[in-house]
Amino acid sequence: MLIPRRVKHRKQHHPSRSGKAKGGTTVAFGDYGIQALEGGYVTNRQIEAARIAMTRHVKRGGKVWINIYPDRPLTKKPAETRMGSGKGSPEWWIANIKPGRVMFEISGVTQEIANEALTRAMHKLPVKCRVVRREEA
Amino acid sequence: MAEITIKGTIRTEFGKGPSRKARRDGLVPAVIYGHGEQPTHISLPAREVGIAIKTANVLLDIDLGSKTELVLPKSIVRNPLKGTLEHIDLVIVRRGEKVIVAVPVHATGEFDRDGILEHVNNTIEVEAEATAIPAFLELDMSGLMAGESKYAADVVLPAGVILVSDPKMTVVHLSVRAAQEEVVAAAPAEGDAAAVAAAPAEGETAKEEKK
Repeated sequence: MLIPRRVKHRKQHHPSRSGKAKGGTTVAFGDYGIQALEGGYVTNRQIEAARIAMTRHVKRGGKVWINIYPDRPLTKKPAETRMGSGKGSPEWWIANIKPGRVMFEISGVTQEIANEALTRAMHKLPVKCRVVRREEA
Repeated sequence: MAEITIKGTIRTEFGKGPSRKARRDGLVPAVIYGHGEQPTHISLPAREVGIAIKTANVLLDIDLGSKTELVLPKSIVRNPLKGTLEHIDLVIVRRGEKVIVAVPVHATGEFDRDGILEHVNNTIEVEAEATAIPAFLELDMSGLMAGESKYAADVVLPAGVILVSDPKMTVVHLSVRAAQEEVVAAAPAEGDAAAVAAAPAEGETAKEEKK
């Protein structure tokens, strides 16, 4: 599972949910990709689940790229705790996804297999997505 | 490459509001600059420009009524979801002037189907005359075996076009199809100092419970 090895600050404010993706909006490495249509927090567990769904479907061969990294910690206070007494403990690692961001890419498989693999991966993600393909200039 | 003439109008109102209004009216805000001249803010018909810029490095002849400018698209801003044009930067060029541009590379020919084709670099930088920029360059992939790469030096350049990119720059790589799936994760952008993530989290939880 993806997790930062070391961080400068253990606890952070919640990442901004507004705006659109500034970069990484096109398929850069593979032939097909998953593009987010809305913003959201994608946890490292969800990234791993999507990766497994994709790679299990393509079986042998094919190459998968993960273009996002869960580098933001989210904290949570324990259940039945009174308010105050400082910020809760880090609970999740998330990637802050903005609309338009291409999160996963795949190549080395046919279009049908790529579509199915990416659709299976999309079901593991908490944001609305679509399949996009490489743009040839 | 053929020039495409597009009629433009000089903008008098700037900023978010007028730009959005222009986009609603089927126009694209654009700016023309270069050659030490003052920037000119213009608006262009979105549909015509959209069709024209489907060709990379297309030479545009912008007709502004009082004058015409020969320009190359420098930067194109699109809406990441809709793909609609939001703004275009156009740089002035002169006939006969040599310019450095990024030209897309198209892979042709039959390669070893056991390998997975990776486009490491989709474009290469070349120096060419502004009026003779190739729309794309071809890279012959025939005979390429899994595990091998093709470099910028392997791209066939037309006469009058000089390679600017590093000749050793990898353009395409045919990676070996692994028995198991291969996954490449993006490297973390940051990560300095202090704290391993998981362990302190547990410590914190224990402290909270005591309270």
